[in-house]
Amino acid sequence: MSDAKRRPPHDTIRPELHDLDKSAFLEEVHSFEFWFQAVEGYLAETTYGHDPEMAEDPLSDEDRERLIGVLCNYCAGESAALETAAGLVSLAPNRMTKVFLSTQVADEGRHLEVFLHRLGELGVENPESEVAKRASPSMLAFKDKLAELVAGRDWASALFAQNVALESLEFVVFGRHAKTADRVTAQILERVVKDERRHMGFGENELGRYLRDTPDSRSRIHDLRVELDHLVDATLADTVRHLGLPADDQKELGRMYRESIERLGLLG
Amino acid sequence: MADFLNAYSIQNWLESCPQAYLEDTVFGHSSDEHEPDLIMENEVLRHDAIRTTVALVVGERCALAASSGLINAAPDEGSKRFLATQTLDEARHVEVFTQRLYDLGVAKEDLESVIAQHANPNLVKFAELLLEKVDKRDFLAGVVGQNIVLEGMAFSVFEMMHVMNAAMNPKFAHTLQGTIADERRHVGFGENRIGSLVRDNPARKPEIEKMQKEMSYWMLATFSQAFRDTSAVDELERIGQERTHSNYQGADLGKLSTNEMEALLGDTVLKEFKVRLGRIGLDYQSPDRP
Repeated sequence: MSDAKRRPPHDTIRPELHDLDKSAFLEEVHSFEFWFQAVEGYLAETTYGHDPEMAEDPLSDEDRERLIGVLCNYCAGESAALETAAGLVSLAPNRMTKVFLSTQVADEGRHLEVFLHRLGELGVENPESEVAKRASPSMLAFKDKLAELVAGRDWASALFAQNVALESLEFVVFGRHAKTADRVTAQILERVVKDERRHMGFGENELGRYLRDTPDSRSRIHDLRVELDHLVDATLADTVRHLGLPADDQKELGRMYRESIERLGLLG
Repeated sequence: MADFLNAYSIQNWLESCPQAYLEDTVFGHSSDEHEPDLIMENEVLRHDAIRTTVALVVGERCALAASSGLINAAPDEGSKRFLATQTLDEARHVEVFTQRLYDLGVAKEDLESVIAQHANPNLVKFAELLLEKVDKRDFLAGVVGQNIVLEGMAFSVFEMMHVMNAAMNPKFAHTLQGTIADERRHVGFGENRIGSLVRDNPARKPEIEKMQKEMSYWMLATFSQAFRDTSAVDELERIGQERTHSNYQGADLGKLSTNEMEALLGDTVLKEFKVRLGRIGLDYQSPDRP
């Protein structure tokens, strides 16, 4: 232990993020404090993810039904993300990654809560049973795969499936949906996307380091990517159909998803 | 159950925690507060503060592993979402107490070795008992162990520490104040959620009561070693620094010996256990004395 008597670092002005050395940077961006500052900016004054004063756009019965179907699928995805992120806390290799994943656990719990609440606002009496009835088989298969990876205590594979594959999928789908959604749903989605961006960044950085340090693991993660591809494609197809988007959008969303994978050099 | 769980929603958590008592804090206290010179300039007191804080980090790491592990064992979505907020609370506690170790002069590269050196082995046994239940995805035993026994212990320990530090070390007292508010919420969830599960699974009562008895034993052993190892009281006397005369459970902590403080804390926690376990339909089991 150092015997140096130091004043707490926060006695002085906290340095700019990019002035920090690598380990101090990681400590900062994985911290509760960092998460706290980030979400305070976009969750303050909201209730269940949106401005409580915002008036609802009128929705036709058909649009409302379609939105309910989409939100049920989102709930299934967020429920999977919540359980996987919680499982990843115990697999994480150090305190900083455990703390970051704890912030992600709370984020995923919030997403599930705001989507369930939105279903209630749309008149669904029992949102949880509606989710059980309507969630698409491809999303449920994705959920099963994530649970299997966590149960197998395979940190890198579970991290890839959750923070790269699932988060990238949600990022592109929610971002696309927010552009055409009613105002209340759009506000909810825009805030969820901000969280997803943070989770993807963590996944890409952690996994990027892992793949650099353990090059032998690359083929294992690559094989998992190939295995997940058909689930991703099927989920995208379901979402495009539920949202009533043109078929070309599925290709575009698929392209955006694959960009994330490409950054890790796992395509091909 | 759904109505009661609404009080434990993430929306409620956001309004009551980050947007309320944690607002304008840095690592749980005001940014202009720091460890007092009395501790930083006295090696005995500084090392004692490090040893005490290590125990808090070890306890909170256990709570983090348990609360995140229980999410996948929870039988309903509402409980999962509450446990998501608890996971984040526990991670925050790990972070603020780890930060205190840094503030006390522990170098970042030495953190794990300092924790390994000072970790109370009885507290480690206590944690292992709980995490064994969590690993088996035993929600009922896990929540009793975590939200009633561990959190109940933490609540009383933090309260005693808060009283002792309020005048002498406002920085640490403020950090503790936020964690006490969190623990109160966690204990409340445990009491409210578990009662119906105990009623529905009466055959499981003896096994869970046995766990409470064993965890209580290791808790008392933890207290015993912690008070035996402390050198702060003797050191304050040696340097002629009067102890703070703060009131805890009707006693003046400034006048009690370490043995008396240990007995007071142990009795307080066990009394609380008895009341809380009674509320959820479990019979409190007196632990053996270490």
